[in-house]
Order: sequence, then C-alpha cells, then structure tokens
Amino acid sequence: MSLLVLTMGLFCLGLYGVLTRRDLVAVLASVEVMLGSATLFLIGSAATRGPVGPEAGAVEATGVLLVVLAAAKAAVGIALVVSAQRRIGTARADDLTELRG
Amino acid sequence: MTAESFVFIVLGALALVGAIATVFARDMIRMAAGLGAFFLACAAFFVYWGAGLLGVVQLFVYVGGVLVLMVFAIMLASRASDGTPRLESRHDLAAATAAAGLFVMVFAGLRGVVPDSVDHAIESSPDLVAETLLGPMLVQFEIAGVLLLAALVAVVILVGREDR
Repeated sequence: MSLLVLTMGLFCLGLYGVLTRRDLVAVLASVEVMLGSATLFLIGSAATRGPVGPEAGAVEATGVLLVVLAAAKAAVGIALVVSAQRRIGTARADDLTELRG
Repeated sequence: MTAESFVFIVLGALALVGAIATVFARDMIRMAAGLGAFFLACAAFFVYWGAGLLGVVQLFVYVGGVLVLMVFAIMLASRASDGTPRLESRHDLAAATAAAGLFVMVFAGLRGVVPDSVDHAIESSPDLVAETLLGPMLVQFEIAGVLLLAALVAVVILVGREDR
C-alpha cells in the first residue's frame, strides 16, 4: 500500500509538472520523474512477491530495458528542444505557437 | 519501527523531495539537482530491493548520462532561471485536478492488488540478467539495440547540421 501511494504520488507529481511547466527542459525532467516512478513501481511490486531464479532475472532485465528506453527518449527529447531553440529561437512551450488554429 | 520501513521512509522522502524540487523549482539548476536526488533515490531503492545491477545501470545512465545531458540542455536552450511567475498559468488548477484524479483512480483500482509491504527481495544477480537478456528476452534486447541506433541517428539529424 505504501509503495503504491509513494509511486503514484511521484507519478502524479510528474504529471502535474508536465502540464504546468512552460520550459521544455523542465517538461522533459517531469517526464523523467513519471518514468522513474513507473520503473520504481515495477521493481517494488515485483519485490513484494520475492521472485527467484529466471523470474527474478526477467524482472531485472525488464527494468534494464526500461532504462534503455528512457535514455533514448531523453536524448531525442533534448535534441528536439535544442533544435527548437536554434530554429525558432525559444524553448518555452508558450512561445511555440506555429500550430495555433 | 522496523529497519525495512525506516529505509523505505528515508529513501521515499528523498525521492519525494527530489520530485517536488523537479516540478516546482523556479531555478533550472535547482530543478536539475532535484532530479539528481530523485534518480539517486531510485537507484538506492533498486539496490535495496535486490536488483543491484539495475541500480548500477540507473546510476550510470541517469545520473551520469541523462542528468548531464539535462544540464547541457539548460545551458543551451533555457535561461538560467525561469523568469515568469509559475502561478500565472491558467492551467494550474486543471492540472492539479487531473493529477489528483489520476491518483484517486489508480489508487482505487490497484489498492487490493498490491501487497501492503515490501518484505521480500528480488533474488537476482548479473549473470541471471545476462542469461535472461541473451536467452528468452533476446528479441527485446535486439529491438532495444535497434531503437538506440535509431535514436542516435535521429539526434544527429536533428542537431547535426546548422544550415537546415
């Protein structure tokens, strides 16, 4: 229960940051908090069952793959932010209004 | 208070403080420091729950890689501090409602499924992870490699040339 409260609290905190932050780098950091809390919940809820053998290896391998995915996502996201700064001259979500209808 | 719940509370508090700093700090460098504290708490949790290799990977990739990348992005793309007051946003209340609503929904849905306390550990080891990654999870492992290559190419295309 406390694990669920902690990881869900972190996840919702990250969601709040994604929705309210204006700076794109800060939005990316909030997304990292969401991803990290999800991984935390995966490993923590696996640990409550105390897996052994191949099952434990599968849990940890899934966690490693999640870290790889998050790293690739962060690299592409930061490249997008830097390229927005270069081409449009801003990295703030409020100023990126080219798609405004 | 048992030792398990003490470690849980200490690491959970560190993760929570880091996440709060990440979400609320006006100063971008403080935000990066909060993110670092959050990542460190995650790595410590993984080691504590028996997934030692994952903790080390988390430390290397996040604290050593992603965080440094974030600091570089702050230097390249953001001003050192977020100038406008954060409370000016029209979406603050709606965002808080959405986050709280999601919390209530998932908590109500998963309350009975997740056990009360984490009193076991994952009996894992690096050779077990290697056997899994190069055995039953080989396809996922290879897909992760292809994804990393695609991300590398995408990053080079996005920021590689000045004239586009």
